Amino acid sequence: MQMIKSILLVDDETLFHLVFDDACNILNISLSLESVSSADAAEVLFKKYVNDPTDKPECVFVDLNIVGSSFDGIELVRRINFQYGNGVVIGIISSSCDQIEMAKAELAGAQFWIVKSDDIEPRLEQFRDDYDGYKNRTGIFKVYK
Amino acid sequence: MIKFSKEDVEKLIKLAIDNKIFIEGPILKMIDTDDDSLFETYVKDAIENDQENRRKRLEITKQIQTQNTQLTDNAKENGRLMQELKGAVEKAQEAKENALNDLDVVQRKSQFKLIDRIVTVALWIIMGVGIITTVLYAIALFNSTIDTTLLGSTWSNLFGILLTNSFSIIGTIMGVKYASEASPKKINNE
Repeated sequence: MQMIKSILLVDDETLFHLVFDDACNILNISLSLESVSSADAAEVLFKKYVNDPTDKPECVFVDLNIVGSSFDGIELVRRINFQYGNGVVIGIISSSCDQIEMAKAELAGAQFWIVKSDDIEPRLEQFRDDYDGYKNRTGIFKVYK
Repeated sequence: MIKFSKEDVEKLIKLAIDNKIFIEGPILKMIDTDDDSLFETYVKDAIENDQENRRKRLEITKQIQTQNTQLTDNAKENGRLMQELKGAVEKAQEAKENALNDLDVVQRKSQFKLIDRIVTVALWIIMGVGIITTVLYAIALFNSTIDTTLLGSTWSNLFGILLTNSFSIIGTIMGVKYASEASPKKINNE
C-alpha cells in the first residue's frame, strides 16, 4: 500500500490541522499535508490548479461547516468535482452524522465521510486501507464512524 | 528518494550521538539509506523519535481541543445565564417601579382623604356656628326685652363671613375629590 503523496485539509479549526497532521504522519498516511482554513482559500487553490496542476493534491479532506467561508464544505466538494475538474480523491471530515448532509455530499461527488472525534486514528487507518479503491474510483461512498 | 553523502551521514550521526538531535518530519520517509546499516539505524531511531514526539504533541493537542470545547460550552452557558439574569433584573426593576407607583398612589389617596376630612369637619363647624348664632338671634328677636341692634349687625357680619368661608371650603372639597379620583388614572396612563 502506497502513501498518499499530498493531502489538502480544508478546516477552520486550526488545532485540528495539528491533530490531522500528526495522526497522518504517525499512521504513515501521507508524505505531505497542506491545510487551509476556509473554503474560499481552497477554491482559490483549485482555480490555480486548473492552469497549473503541479501542486495539485492527491486527496482532499473538507470540513462540513467551515466558519468564515462564503459557502460550506459540500458546495466546495461540488465545485471541485464539477467546476474545477475532478482528479482528486475527495471527501468530508466532520463531527456531524447527519444522514441528509451525507446524502447531499455523495451527490456532490464526495467519496467518503469521516466522522471527527477525539479518536480519529482508527478511522484514518480504515480510510488508508480503502484508499486505493477511492483512487481508482472503484470504492463506493463510505462513512467512517 | 533522497540520498545523503557519506560526509553528511557522518555529521548527522554525530549530531544524534552528541546532542540527541535527529532529522524530523516526512523527509525521513524518503531517505535512501543505501544499505548503510549505521545510517539505517539512525533513520529508524529518527523515525521513532519523530513519531514519539508527534504522539506526545497529538495527545496534548487533543487535550487542548477538549478544553477548548469545554470552554466554548461554558461560555455559551454563561451567556445563557447572563441573558436570564438580565431578564430577571429587568423584571425586578419593572416590579420596583410598579410598587413605587402604587405606593405613591396610596400616599396621595391617604393625603387627599385627610384633607377631605379636615375640610368636611371645618364645614360642619361653620354650619354649626351659623345655626347656633341664628337660633340665638331669633330668640333675642322674639324676646322684646333684649336690644337687638348690635346683635343684628354682628349676626349679619358673622353670617356673611361664614357663607364666604363655606363656599370656599365647598370649592376645596370639590377640588380634593376631583384630584383624588383623577390622579390614579393619570399615573396609570404615564
